Amino acid sequence: MDVLPNEEEQMVKNLAREFLEAECPPRLAREMEKDDLGYPPELWQKMADLGWLGISLPEEHGGQGLPLTYLGIIMEELGRAIAPVPLHSTAMAALAVAEAGSAEQQRQLLPRVSRGDLILTWAFTEQTPRFRPETIHAEAVPDGDDFILTGTKMFVDNFNVAEQCLVACRTAPAAADGDTAAANPGAGLSLLLVDTASRGVSHTPLTTLAKDKQSKVFFDGVRVPQANLVGPRHQGWPIIQRMLDRGTALLCAQMVGAARKDAEMGIDYAKNRAAFGRPIAAFQSIQHICADMILWVDGGQLLTYEALWKMDQGLPASVEVSQAKAFCNDKCEAVVRSSQVIHGGMGFMMEFDLHLWFRRVTAWTMRLGTSFEHRAKIAQSLLDQPGRVRLGMDQIPVG
Amino acid sequence: MDFAYTPEQESLRQEVRAFIEENVSPEVRQEIEELGIRHRGPKVREMYRKLGERGWVGISWPKEYGGQDGSRIDQYIVEEEFARAGITVGGAGSGAPAILAAGTEEQKKYFLPGLIKGEISFALGFTEPQAGADLASLQCRAVRDGDDYVINGQKMFTTAAHYASHIYLMARTDPEAPKHRGISIFLFPMDTPGITVRPLWTIQNDPPAPSGTTYGDARTNEVFFEDVRIPASCLLGDENMGWYVGAMGLNLDRVGASRYLISVKRDEDIVNYVKENQLGDYAVAEDPSVRDRIAELWIEAQVCRLMTMRSMSLVEQGGNFTYEGSAEKVFAPEHGVRTTETISQILGPYAQLLNGSEDAIEEGVFAHNLMGSFQSGINHGSTQVMRDQIARRGLGMPRG
Ligand SMILES: Cc1cc2nc3c(=O)[nH]c(=O)nc-3n(C[C@H](O)[C@H](O)[C@H](O)COP(=O)(O)OP(=O)(O)OC[C@H]3O[C@@H](n4cnc5c(N)ncnc54)[C@H](O)[C@@H]3O)c2cc1C
Repeated sequence: MDVLPNEEEQMVKNLAREFLEAECPPRLAREMEKDDLGYPPELWQKMADLGWLGISLPEEHGGQGLPLTYLGIIMEELGRAIAPVPLHSTAMAALAVAEAGSAEQQRQLLPRVSRGDLILTWAFTEQTPRFRPETIHAEAVPDGDDFILTGTKMFVDNFNVAEQCLVACRTAPAAADGDTAAANPGAGLSLLLVDTASRGVSHTPLTTLAKDKQSKVFFDGVRVPQANLVGPRHQGWPIIQRMLDRGTALLCAQMVGAARKDAEMGIDYAKNRAAFGRPIAAFQSIQHICADMILWVDGGQLLTYEALWKMDQGLPASVEVSQAKAFCNDKCEAVVRSSQVIHGGMGFMMEFDLHLWFRRVTAWTMRLGTSFEHRAKIAQSLLDQPGRVRLGMDQIPVG
Repeated sequence: MDFAYTPEQESLRQEVRAFIEENVSPEVRQEIEELGIRHRGPKVREMYRKLGERGWVGISWPKEYGGQDGSRIDQYIVEEEFARAGITVGGAGSGAPAILAAGTEEQKKYFLPGLIKGEISFALGFTEPQAGADLASLQCRAVRDGDDYVINGQKMFTTAAHYASHIYLMARTDPEAPKHRGISIFLFPMDTPGITVRPLWTIQNDPPAPSGTTYGDARTNEVFFEDVRIPASCLLGDENMGWYVGAMGLNLDRVGASRYLISVKRDEDIVNYVKENQLGDYAVAEDPSVRDRIAELWIEAQVCRLMTMRSMSLVEQGGNFTYEGSAEKVFAPEHGVRTTETISQILGPYAQLLNGSEDAIEEGVFAHNLMGSFQSGINHGSTQVMRDQIARRGLGMPRG
């Protein structure tokens, strides 16, 4: 039991921080909000050269083969620097391929990801913003050696620059294999890798709070080779769940990094801003807000790394992931809002950088599961199975 | 990072459980119910003696003083299992961390084995009528007189004073010095002539609180010192350095299993209760509002656990606490209050029923908790003062 980073983890963290402080000033995040690509290719390439893009991808495919906690550390530092790079969506899809893709897919895709010449994304959500299998209506119908994919996906991250998109779709009705739909709503789902340049694919950019790149994506009779199936046909749901869990925990790491930096800016500002003849940092009410900000970020960080660590160990982790996300949603939002309050009117000004963090963290609270949704999962695991609970003993996920 | 216990630690946990099953008999439990856990009757003393033989008290203390030179995590595991059985082993208020840090060889050789065997226990004599959160303004006086000190003054809320063997006393030795620099710590027997102990009764124990109540002690005390003469060898650390000596121990005394469980036990209790019971026709565990709130509290409880683990990890790495002990001491007690108050809204009027009442749930434990859950946010460093420390020590913010 040692919940603190070890020497090697700390080293990776320090190096990442130094690099990003030098190479990724807030100006970059601001510029990329107005940029067509939304990310600076030079920075992306440097990150690839540092080995970050494949840090948790298998060594045999050009990655570093390090545990997810390391990728978590990188995501945390990227969050701190609000680095405008498409790593989160790329890592989610790439890790799903590393887990469930064919040998050929892994050989084709993963080395390119590590080298920095393949950006990926994933598409799950349609009209219903809940991470449940019954929300999936996009359909892939077999046709010779291909599928024909039809459907609409929402909130697809970095679609504008992604070369491939991992799409959750239905290849059979929910009641496949003799199950009733109610008993096994996950049955009949599959994951398809879709080339974003395929005929029949189009997208409309969404204008978001974080001013990041998200799209509504239309698949209109898109022909996708059956060889692009990732994982077994009709049985994609468990793979999708693990992809979402990993993505959620990694997003938490990013939120924690951004929220801590935002809190530190609030604390620094308080030390330098005077009112009533003293720095506002000398007022107890301000001090206590600052103490709470640190408590909240620390809590989110501990929950996040426990979730990532459990995944690394191959243990069930979806309850831990939900714990982290629900807490980060509520508390990271409280942190960035508190920091705004400490900044008075200044934080509300476009020219001042604080809003770059504020808007992003706020937007991330709505991505990959709301607090209610995650708490419902936790409640299920606590209340809907037999046996007494005890903190610190494993909670078995349901559904 | 490593969020698991080692296999050796897991088997230690099993051993401790087996010991508890074997040795914490119904008779021992009854004695605890009647006398309170720290006030040791003969059966409880026997149980502690066996516990000491196993080497499970003060595992992380040095071998030469009766410990095992073992890991703080092992010690935590023992503390946790016993705390869950309603029994205090080591943990908050033992006084040992400060003795280890500042004691003379003679003091270490005397007190640490005594603490391990359960022959010595301390009443903590910090608070005074005019010095609570602002402890450094304490006035109880100790005056050097030849080879002795003579103590005069009053302490307040001195919880174990009516059964502890010794007192761990903070007194003023230099009234001219700035208030933090004129304080010393003394360790001496409670049966020293000139000490008078008077009871103060808490609101939580009328009727008597059931075991498992999160504060629980029925009684605390005020203690008066009238020309109490003690040898100078009772001084812990250097004269006038008592504030800093105390601080060495305090962070370690603030963390550990009993502190953590005080704040999270009721989370488990309410989950287990609503899983196994309905209130009439009302299936509490199916109420969506209750489910959401319970999940929210559960997450917070996990944060309490992880903050405790962080403190343990820091101790293991030999690292310095800057604000982490204080962080735990803010988050956990406030969480405990949120849970306690939420339970009252989950159970409604049943949560007002005290121990012994017709229809009381779990002997009224939830009602008794409502009277005292906030206390752990006041004693041993109030949440307000803890937040000050996080801001000042942890974040470098200036004094007001
Ligand atoms: C049941 C019980 C058992 C106890 N056991 C012991 C024991 O064994 N030994 C012992 O020495 N003491 C013991 N205490 C005392 C306990 O540590 C004190 O109650 C505590 O230190 C607070 O002191 P006080 O009660 O005088 O409150 P006060 O110091 O008067 O504080 C009152 C309120 O003011 C707040 N406050 C104080 N200073 C500030 C500030 N700077 N900024 C903002 N708010 C502030 C406090 O947080 C609190 O909310 C016990 C208390 C109780 C109730």
